Amino acid sequence: MILLALTLAVPAVAGTALVLGDRAPVAARPLTSHLVALVASVVTLGLTVWDVVQRPVVDAPWVPAIGLRWHFAVDGISAPLLLLTAALGVAVVAHARHHLPSGGTPGTFYGCLLLVELGALGTFLTRDAVLFFIAFETVLIPMWVLINRFGDQRSATARSDAAGRFLLYTVLGSTLMLIGILALVNAAGTADLDRLAASGGAGMSSTTQAVVAAILLVGLAIKVPLWPVHTWLPPAHTIAPTAGSVLLAAVLLKMGTYGIVRLVAAPLPDGLGVLAPYLGGAAVIGILWGGLACLVERDLKRLVAYSSVAHMGFVVLGIASGTDTGLQAALFANIAHGVVSALLFFVVGGLKERWGSADLEIARAALRETAPRTGLALVIGFAATLGLPGLVTFWGEWLSVYAAWSPAPDRPVGAFHAFAAVAVVGTALAAGYALRVLRLVWAGDRLEPAVADLAGVERWVVAVLVAAVVALGVWPKALLDSTAPEVATITHGAHPSTVVVGSEGGGAR
Amino acid sequence: MTPLLVLPPVPWPEIHLAPAQLVVLAPAAACLLGLWWGRGQRRVAATLAVLGTLVALGASAWQVVQVLTDHAETPTGTVGPLPVGGLDLPLTLLSDHLSALVAVAVAVVGLAVQGFSTWYLAEDPHYPQFAAGVSLFLAAMLLVVQTGDLVLLLVGWELMGWCSWLLIGLDSRRAAARRAAYKAFLVTRIGDLAFVIGLVILAVGAGTTSIPDVVRHWAHQPGTQQGALLTAAMVCLLSGIAGKSAQFPFQDWLPDAMEGPTPASALIHAATMVAAGTYVLARLFPILVQSGPARLLLAVVAGVTMVGSAVLAFGQTDLKRMLAWSTVSQVAIMLAALAVVPAPMGPDTGIVHFVSHAMFKALLFLGVGWLSVLVGGTTAAALSGGVRHFRELRSPLGVGLLALTGVPPFVGFVSKELVVGASEHGITAGTAGAWLVLVALFLTIPLTAAYCMRAWMVLAFRTQEERAVDQEVSRESHRPQEVDLTEMFDTRTFTPDPEEQAIAERQIDTPAWLSVSVLKWLTVVGGLVVLTPFVTVDWHVDVWLVGCSLLLMAGAAFGVRALSPVSLDGDAMRHAGDRVRSAFDEGWAADRAYLALVARPVLALARWVVAVDRDVIDAWVRGSAAATRVAGAFGEAAHRRRPSANLVWVLVGVLGVAALGVRLW
Repeated sequence: MILLALTLAVPAVAGTALVLGDRAPVAARPLTSHLVALVASVVTLGLTVWDVVQRPVVDAPWVPAIGLRWHFAVDGISAPLLLLTAALGVAVVAHARHHLPSGGTPGTFYGCLLLVELGALGTFLTRDAVLFFIAFETVLIPMWVLINRFGDQRSATARSDAAGRFLLYTVLGSTLMLIGILALVNAAGTADLDRLAASGGAGMSSTTQAVVAAILLVGLAIKVPLWPVHTWLPPAHTIAPTAGSVLLAAVLLKMGTYGIVRLVAAPLPDGLGVLAPYLGGAAVIGILWGGLACLVERDLKRLVAYSSVAHMGFVVLGIASGTDTGLQAALFANIAHGVVSALLFFVVGGLKERWGSADLEIARAALRETAPRTGLALVIGFAATLGLPGLVTFWGEWLSVYAAWSPAPDRPVGAFHAFAAVAVVGTALAAGYALRVLRLVWAGDRLEPAVADLAGVERWVVAVLVAAVVALGVWPKALLDSTAPEVATITHGAHPSTVVVGSEGGGAR
Repeated sequence: MTPLLVLPPVPWPEIHLAPAQLVVLAPAAACLLGLWWGRGQRRVAATLAVLGTLVALGASAWQVVQVLTDHAETPTGTVGPLPVGGLDLPLTLLSDHLSALVAVAVAVVGLAVQGFSTWYLAEDPHYPQFAAGVSLFLAAMLLVVQTGDLVLLLVGWELMGWCSWLLIGLDSRRAAARRAAYKAFLVTRIGDLAFVIGLVILAVGAGTTSIPDVVRHWAHQPGTQQGALLTAAMVCLLSGIAGKSAQFPFQDWLPDAMEGPTPASALIHAATMVAAGTYVLARLFPILVQSGPARLLLAVVAGVTMVGSAVLAFGQTDLKRMLAWSTVSQVAIMLAALAVVPAPMGPDTGIVHFVSHAMFKALLFLGVGWLSVLVGGTTAAALSGGVRHFRELRSPLGVGLLALTGVPPFVGFVSKELVVGASEHGITAGTAGAWLVLVALFLTIPLTAAYCMRAWMVLAFRTQEERAVDQEVSRESHRPQEVDLTEMFDTRTFTPDPEEQAIAERQIDTPAWLSVSVLKWLTVVGGLVVLTPFVTVDWHVDVWLVGCSLLLMAGAAFGVRALSPVSLDGDAMRHAGDRVRSAFDEGWAADRAYLALVARPVLALARWVVAVDRDVIDAWVRGSAAATRVAGAFGEAAHRRRPSANLVWVLVGVLGVAALGVRLW
């Protein structure tokens, strides 16, 4: 119990101390800041692993008058996200030792990283809807600082534009989400996510559910981001420092889809059912939109950002299908995108630092010939992007297409068949842009101007992510086993009849 | 007291290896180990690659023994079953007669390719990557062969596409290789879009991805709605198969893929990706025969492709590209067999041609690769006189071309005549499209004989050096008549410099020579495969049809032979004009059609998307930011000043009018 509390306390205390420490009369040395942050993130990772294995629960009253509680717990859905967040927390801190962006003091940078990690861990740990909102909001300001202060140093205007856009856009989403949460809590009579999920919208009319779900979905869609509210993502990714991009893609976006599962799919199944065609439609438009934009995009970081829009489309499509297969697909694809986008942003961010820009139209030395390790990491990252089997992305996307073809009984089958077909087209676009990048950057005959290959901590961080991409791709059972029981309770509670015709007891498990 | 940390039981696959598992695992492991330890170390990479393939061959032989002894089709597990809700996803492998035979063929060709490329790519800096890529390619193909699960089928299928990208673009310093690799992957991926949907339809209907269960579910579907769904699924699958097998309209990626190293071509064409579609359809044959329209479509596509690509093969300036087009044509023959063979006969006719083609096409590619090392190119002009100059190549290339033509008793004759017989049976059984296939076959057979003869005339023609010497003789001769006689009757071979030739021939090392020899002997005696218990084929082939096809072959071959010697380098195509020849080399402008019909519209759409993203969707965001800023500035400006007295009066007036209005109403 106390260790679960410490999981949040360690990054909170260390993060705050680092940010404040640099404002003290005697500022901490960069190495000290680094070590403090590293120790804090490693301890947090250890505690998270313990939480995931032991599954402790903290449940104490906070504001009894309105029934608000400190309620934290770990289940199969949050466990992989927690591990991903904590592991990437260590990775970004370790990576920053030799790649510290300028623009502010080291303490502020490390402190903000830890505070973002705190907010993400809190979001995934909490079992209280209001507390969820608070944790969700915690990440905003530190991330704003990371983008606005430590982002691309070439243009202050671009930094403030990207950071401001990120902040205001997501605050708008959060506000809508807060309204939705309050409406949900008011209608259901509890803020406990477990009880909300168990009730499955009992006692709420379909219309009420649809209205509340719509508000929540619009709010959360901004975070995911879902087409057409995605335009904050490309500038934020392009401008943010490497560590910021990694956390943004691999952790922050996941909070949006996690929120959809916890706040919409579980407690408002009928509402989701009404909105599913629109949600699925937006998701597949996003898949095409992101893929097409990537085909002509010039900036490599922006390209990876647009590919994120496409990949998150698969996640949302899986959720919209309303089956347990779809939910499994969504949760798997969520983690898959986290790992792959982290890998790509580490590699691409490193390339941008070395090249001085991420413009694809500038002829550069072929990575295959001059920096083979970077090249291999880039090849595996983009192979995963195009959904190559044997790598992690494949399972989530294939299952998502499958789920879209066989949606829950209350979904319009024709529309979802069309969604499946369009989503598959997205994989061809992904192949087009992924190989386009490799053809421009990885292959070629130029040997000048060569850039340094991956080395030191950067090399190890990338190696671990590559290993994760391959391992989860070859052994997907590890992750699917974790989420399966929870998924069964969510969809089973929601749709007693959500068993695909001809299957054998999948839904009744 | 409980310990602080109790680790949960680590999930781990049960380790007792079945041959089906080892067949797939061995090359996969060779790939990983080769990437890890083989970097920059050619010998290590070569050893691992050959060893991995050897183990796979051993395991496939073991599988043969097992299948023959206990006839078990027990599914063996891999990384499944996956818990994905309502769908049963067992991810199992199968061992049966079909997989046993094809696995051996694939492993033999794989081993030959690995053995040959240790020599062929001896100077290539990317050799370790190539060897690992070939290992992965074999693992993917063997996964397709062994799979008992639709998802594993897709895994192997897509991995082969990826490996083809790696191998075709191996020499990524050349722009042509980069483009060819990109084109190959994209064209096959586009074909696979529908393939994925087809697999999904099959799996959704059966509620499982296990192939035996899927086949059982769909093979007995009487309802019309189910029938339509099945046809949709099979047509979708055919799209992917046409993509990977380079059938019309996806055919044009394959000749371009000749930019890759020749052993890679041997692998891709003979035993893996291009031929894999035949195997997939053979696996799903019981459901394929349930759908008449899908089979008719297959017959039409295969018939058109068979003839069209045989014509294209004849016109190629580059003999390696000629072999590529011949692959397209031969794969069409396999697919045609599956399209027309009567359902009770089973898919084995197509599989026999698969195995036969694997042997002779691998032999031809390795032979041409070997010759190209010696003469420095693969165009007809470069290869002209090759087998006269390097006599060691005479028998492998000769045997390969005879088998490709379908001359008895080589393996190609047996398999091709079986397909002719199958279409005859198809006509008797009333299969739609069987007539079409028979006509296409009787067009393709002489065309094949024609391009094989053309190739042989080029290969066996006197080289430029020989002709130079002859001219020298004629110039120095005092008696021109004698020279004419010499030119007419003297067939002595030209030996430029015995020592030099010995060096050139000695360059090939034992593994490479062994690879070619083994394939050569298999091509000679491979027809015996139909006597083994692995295949069930119908022997009753109409003798008149066989006689007809042999006559057509002979006629076409002699026609070409008559045209050849009058040309510059023994190339019968010299008689055609330059425009015709370049049209053939460009595959009748298919590449331009791809660009105009797919690539450019998609890119235009992409530019439109970017513009809309920036000018429409994001405009609202920017607009709201600007509006807020303006409102803020206005508010700030209004706040700074004191309200003027006039404004107060205006306000009072408005209120007064409003009050009056309320009062009057």
